[in-house]
Amino acid sequence: MSHPPRHSSMLSISNNVQTAATPSEKPLPPTQLQATSQTPPGLRVPSNRKTIYDRHLNRTRNGELSRASFAFLFGEMVTYAQRRVTGIQDLERRLNEQGYPLGLRLLDLLFYRTTSSTSSSALSSSSTSASPPNRPLRILPLLHLIHGPLWRQLFNRSADALEHSISPDTPNEYMITDNDPLVNTYISVPKEMNQLSCAAFVAGIIEGVCDGCGFEAKVSAHNQPSELWPSRTIFLLRFGDSVMEREKVLERAGVK
Amino acid sequence: MPVYSLIIINKAGGLVYQREFQPGLRKLSTNDYLVLAGTFHGVHAITRSITPKIPNQNAVSVTSSTTQTPTPTTTAAAAAAASPSSTSVLSPSSTSIPTPTPTPTPLSTTSTTTPALPPSTSTPSNATYTYPIPNLPLSGLETLESDKFTLTCFQTLTGTKFLLFTDPQMANIEGIMKTVYELYADYVMKNPFYQLEMPVRCEAFERGVGGFLRARG
Amino acid sequence: MSYYFTILSPTDVPLFNIAFGTSKSGGDGIARFRFPEAAQNTYMTQFIIHSSLDMLEEAQWMGGNMYLKHIDTYPPASSYISAFLTPSGTRFLLLHQPPQPNLPPSSSSGPGGGSMSLSVTSGMGSSGLFGGSGSSSGRASSSSIAANPTSPQTEEAVRQFMTEVYENYVKTVMSPFYRRGMEVKSPVFRGKVSAAGRKWL
Repeated sequence: MSHPPRHSSMLSISNNVQTAATPSEKPLPPTQLQATSQTPPGLRVPSNRKTIYDRHLNRTRNGELSRASFAFLFGEMVTYAQRRVTGIQDLERRLNEQGYPLGLRLLDLLFYRTTSSTSSSALSSSSTSASPPNRPLRILPLLHLIHGPLWRQLFNRSADALEHSISPDTPNEYMITDNDPLVNTYISVPKEMNQLSCAAFVAGIIEGVCDGCGFEAKVSAHNQPSELWPSRTIFLLRFGDSVMEREKVLERAGVK
Repeated sequence: MPVYSLIIINKAGGLVYQREFQPGLRKLSTNDYLVLAGTFHGVHAITRSITPKIPNQNAVSVTSSTTQTPTPTTTAAAAAAASPSSTSVLSPSSTSIPTPTPTPTPLSTTSTTTPALPPSTSTPSNATYTYPIPNLPLSGLETLESDKFTLTCFQTLTGTKFLLFTDPQMANIEGIMKTVYELYADYVMKNPFYQLEMPVRCEAFERGVGGFLRARG
Repeated sequence: MSYYFTILSPTDVPLFNIAFGTSKSGGDGIARFRFPEAAQNTYMTQFIIHSSLDMLEEAQWMGGNMYLKHIDTYPPASSYISAFLTPSGTRFLLLHQPPQPNLPPSSSSGPGGGSMSLSVTSGMGSSGLFGGSGSSSGRASSSSIAANPTSPQTEEAVRQFMTEVYENYVKTVMSPFYRRGMEVKSPVFRGKVSAAGRKWL
C-alpha cells in the first residue's frame, strides 16, 4: 500500500468542504470517495511526498551541528526547566526527564547505525556476513556501550573514565567521568546553586539507555572539578536490585 | 605590554562587569566605578552626536576625521574641548536652515586631508548632509589615549560597551577586543543563568577572560 | 502461508498489528488462518502470540542477538512464532502458519482460495480446469520458505523482514511526536510493513 498522493488528499479535503457548504451539489464520483476513505483525517503528507519513512536514517550520521546553536538551545531548555521549580533537586529531575526519552530513541538509532555501517547496505542486500551488534545482557557491556559508542554518537569522543564503586556496601554503583561535558561548556552555575549540575540532562539520557536495555537504574550527575578540568562531571549509575539479582543469575549461567 | 582593566557597560549605562588584570592599580570604590561607567556612557552619547555633518551642496574637499578616531594626541582634555565646539556647531543650525549645517571643522588640529567622496553618489538624494565616512554608521568615542594608558571602547550592535584600559605601547587591541567579545558571547550570553543587563557573575567567563588577558600581561 | 505480525511494547502493550499472507509463489497476500473457529481469527492469533511472551523473555537474556529466530510453536494450530527484540525492549513477533499439509497443495496456496471451507470446494472444482498450473505452483511453494517454517531459508527471510521493519520502526521512534508506548498509527508505516512482507515472505 502506498500512501495516496498529496493532491488526492487535498482533493478530499476540498470536496468535504464543498459538500458541507453546498449540500445540493452532486454526489462525488466513487473514485474520489475511495481516496477520501484511504486518507485518514489529519494525515498530511508533505508537498514533496517524502515522509519520515522515506528519509534514510544514515543521512545525517556524520552531519555536524553548530555548537553555538546547541548551546543556545540547551540554555533555553535549562531556562524552561527552571520555571516554577521548587529547588535544585526538582530542576535536576526535570532536566533528567528531558533527557530520558532521548536515551530511549538514541539506543535504537545507535544499534541501527552500527548495524548498517558494518555492512553498507545490509537492509536491502542479502549479505549476512556482518552480524549486528549484540544487545547488552550484563552490566559491563552496557557500560562499555555508554562509555564508547553512545558517547561518540553524542559528543564525538569517548567518555574519560569508567569506574566501579570500591565500597563493598554499594556494588551496584558505577561511575562514568566526563572531563568537560559539552552541555556545561558555556554554563556557569551561580554560587547559591552550586549543587546543581546541568549535566543532569545527560544523566537522563544515560538513564534512558539503561532502562531501554532492561537495566533499571538511577543516574545522577555530580560536579567534581579538578585543577585541570574545572567542569569535570561524574555520572553516578545506581542499578536496581532486580538488575543485580539477574546479574548473579546470568553470571552463574555463563552469559556474557 | 599589559592589559590593565576591563569594564563592560550595559546599554542603559550601568556597570555590569569590572576587573583589573594587573596588580598595583589604585582601586576605586564600587560606587566610583558605577559613576565612571555612567559618565562614560554620557560622554559616549555626546561624542556620537558631535560627529560632523557635511552638507551636500558644498563640494567639500576636506573632511575632518571623526571624533570616533581621534589621533594619538587627543586626550581626555581634547575630548572635553570637543564638546564646547559641538555646541557652536549646533547653535547656528537652530537659527538658520534646520539641517544643513556649515561645517566648521571642530577638531581642526586633528583633521586630515582626504579626497572627499562625491556625496551625491554615496547618499540618497533627499539627505542634505553626509558623514565624513559615509558608509560607516554613527558610533561614538572609540579610543582615548594618554601617556599612561589607552582606553579603547567597543560598542556591540545591542549597545553593550566594552572598555579596555591598556598600555599605550600595546598593539593589536582590536584583536584582543574581538576575543573578549567572543568570550562574552560564549560564556555570558549562552549561560542560562545570566539575566540580560544584569551584572556578570559567570565563573567560566572569569576563567576565560583571566586566562586570556593575564597571558598577555 | 499466513502471517500475523505484531509489535509489543516492553510492557506488552500492542502497538501495531497486521495480518497478511504470502506473496511468494503465486500467493495473493491475504492471510487465511486455520483455526477451529474461523470467525475468531482476530483474537486467536493474538492469544497465541501473547502466550509466547514467556519464551521470549527467557530467550531475551540467553543471547544478545536482536533476532531471536523461531522461539515458540503452537502445535494445535501448527503455527510458529519468530521474535525480534529491539535494543530498547520493543518486541516484534511474527506468527506464521504454513498451509495445511494434508490438503492438496493447489487448494491451500493457489490464488483462488478463500476461507477454509471455500478453498476446499474451489480446489476440487478447479483441479480439473486448472490442474496443471495449480499443482505446479503448489510444488514450487513446497520447496520455498512458505512450506517449511523452520528451514534456514525461512529464518533468513524472516530476519530480513524483521530488519526492514526495524528500520521503519526506528524512523517512527525518532519522530518527536512519538512517545514510548504509543500505538503506531501511521498508514505509511503500515504500508512499509506490508511491502516488506511482500518482499521477503
